[in-house]
Amino acid sequence: MMVMTQENLTSKERFDKIFEVEFLPQIDALYTFAYHLTYNEDDANDLVQETYLKAYRFIEKYIEGTNAKAWLFKILKNAFINQYRKKSKAPTKVDYEEIINFHDEENDTNYSTHTDLREEMFQSMMGDEVTNAINALPVDFRVVILLCDIEGFTYEEISKIIDVPIGTVRSRLHRARNMLKGQLKTYAESLGFKDKRSKD
Amino acid sequence: DYQELVRKVTMYLDNELSEAEAYLKVLSQEKSFREFIKSKLHRRKPSPALIKSIKDKIKT
Repeated sequence: MMVMTQENLTSKERFDKIFEVEFLPQIDALYTFAYHLTYNEDDANDLVQETYLKAYRFIEKYIEGTNAKAWLFKILKNAFINQYRKKSKAPTKVDYEEIINFHDEENDTNYSTHTDLREEMFQSMMGDEVTNAINALPVDFRVVILLCDIEGFTYEEISKIIDVPIGTVRSRLHRARNMLKGQLKTYAESLGFKDKRSKD
Repeated sequence: DYQELVRKVTMYLDNELSEAEAYLKVLSQEKSFREFIKSKLHRRKPSPALIKSIKDKIKT
């Protein structure tokens, strides 16, 4: 059995305080980032939870009062990339729990209403061309757009979060925005945004 | 083929130019494109259940 010494207790209290004061206030931003990376609430929840558990496990490596937000974003981005790589290598699997839940729901009288609602939500989500266009960006490009345009990180902060030189951040942003422009041109015009850009 | 101007304008809008800081049209178009994208990237709130779950796991 581990005996909690005064020293241990003090550092645990200090870590708990850092967690409460510096880490937890970032949860909205982390969840928004996770959601825009995965476009799935369950996956976003898992990513955020994994991020916080890892952050707490390695909290002694964090220097109190520094950029907690960037530190947490880096952990989340790495967790996402690891999952993303695993998923893209793994063959398609059917989740056992999903099958069990499916059969349970099939006996539920509310099942048809439930699927109609999900279908409606799905259609509404698919209707959002911007979401589709961002989702279609290669993951490295999607990450920089989200970090810059939603979270307002500086190029330097982004370069630390994703471990690439600032020049690479700059060129990825430039290319990502050009890709988005290409994909969204028609959609934006249909909403009244006009592309009057002239290169002459 | 403007691309250099767009690059500078982009950095200007990101507050990344050094004090480096028809062209006006390019600036306003880049700005409205940026606002258009931002308006579509909605912020989302985590559920109270997620926050509780994280706190519980940290405690135990």
